Amino acid sequence: MKTLRRFLSPLLILALVLGSVSVSAAPLPASELISTQTALSAERADADRERIHEVLSRDEVQKQLIAQGVDLAEVEARVAALTDEEAHQMAEQLEQLPAGASVVGALLVVFIVLLVTDILGLTNVFPFTR
Amino acid sequence: MQGRLHRPRLNARLAGVLLLGLLLLSGCASTPRLAESTEQSLPRQAWVADVPFHAQREYQCGPASLAMVLNHDGVDVTMETLIPQVFIPGRDGSVQPEMLATVRRHGRIPFVLDDTLDALLTELASGHPVVVMQNLSLPAWPMWHYAVAIGYDLDANELILHSGEEAERIESFRRFDSTWARSERWAFVALQPGQMPSGISEQPALQAIAAFEQTQGAEAALPAWSALVERFPTSGMGHFALGNARHASGDPLGAIESFRTSVAHRDDLGVAWLNLGLTLHANGEEDEARQALQRAAALPGHWQKRATDALERL
Repeated sequence: MKTLRRFLSPLLILALVLGSVSVSAAPLPASELISTQTALSAERADADRERIHEVLSRDEVQKQLIAQGVDLAEVEARVAALTDEEAHQMAEQLEQLPAGASVVGALLVVFIVLLVTDILGLTNVFPFTR
Repeated sequence: MQGRLHRPRLNARLAGVLLLGLLLLSGCASTPRLAESTEQSLPRQAWVADVPFHAQREYQCGPASLAMVLNHDGVDVTMETLIPQVFIPGRDGSVQPEMLATVRRHGRIPFVLDDTLDALLTELASGHPVVVMQNLSLPAWPMWHYAVAIGYDLDANELILHSGEEAERIESFRRFDSTWARSERWAFVALQPGQMPSGISEQPALQAIAAFEQTQGAEAALPAWSALVERFPTSGMGHFALGNARHASGDPLGAIESFRTSVAHRDDLGVAWLNLGLTLHANGEEDEARQALQRAAALPGHWQKRATDALERL
């Protein structure tokens, strides 16, 4: 066992060294142009750190959407359609993002205030005030 | 006895507070004014024809609004398809980022407009229906809502919307603007690649098209980039983006031309020099490739190291 290890270790080291050398010496294919999306996000500060965040964000968004009852079959395509920035925004504040259309609490005071603001033309809650 | 004496005073005080609050609120709301130039250039009335109306079902004003603008632009998609793509059951609604993302999934580019009534009316006058987000209630008890603006009348100060369960609803500019202002006047149009809103500035247009390209690919975005450099002929970033899209669509010569135009307008755009050099190199034009990469390597910033590495490998 010990002899095996004695053989293996230098071999592994050699393989790793050679591996990394061949990677850095490989000719750069022309398809490795910098993409427009990368160039645009690099214009913002801390682009690299943000990118790591954004990779994490997508997982987070996926989890949150599933928790909010989104169909499992749909969730992946939905997350994929978001830009990095949108995914980040969703991950950070899905709870706070306004969602059309939420419901108004049914308190009487609220009802009266909204009725008055409706009549004043500030809101548009009740169809009969127009 | 005492309690009874106090109660009217308390009620009066409460009423006073409420009244004051309402006065303060109404103090902020008045019929919004358009800029002089908009007032003169816009037709007095405008009406976008052929916007099909889809009545929303419970809470589903998001998918309904999307179906209206997408159908108007020739995308054959039903509300039934859109609901699982954009509706969040746990929130009883749809959120803004996903409204935009869903438009992209259906091959159209969502452009968020400037937060002015001028921008909104200008789009209507150019024949584009506009999705708007409103808070129909007060900030404390929000009632978020998406609707589709389809026309206006400047003489009557009225906006016409397909909204909720009501087609062609008429809202005064004043009431509409009060409810719209609570979403920070959020509005967008969904356009075919190659079309752009008339008032949009360069940076938001770049972002919108780049986001579209990310989901739909370079070939689909190509007409949009062409339209962008036509609108902003000196945009270094725009020509750079067009170059990338041409390259990805298998047109290296077109790409080289675009990258050259890009650096001609923005000599300091390292990333464009870098891509120019790499494309020239792949095309066998070694001398010019070296010059471009040297220029990229001389510019401080993100791409310096990439350029240096590429130079070493030439």
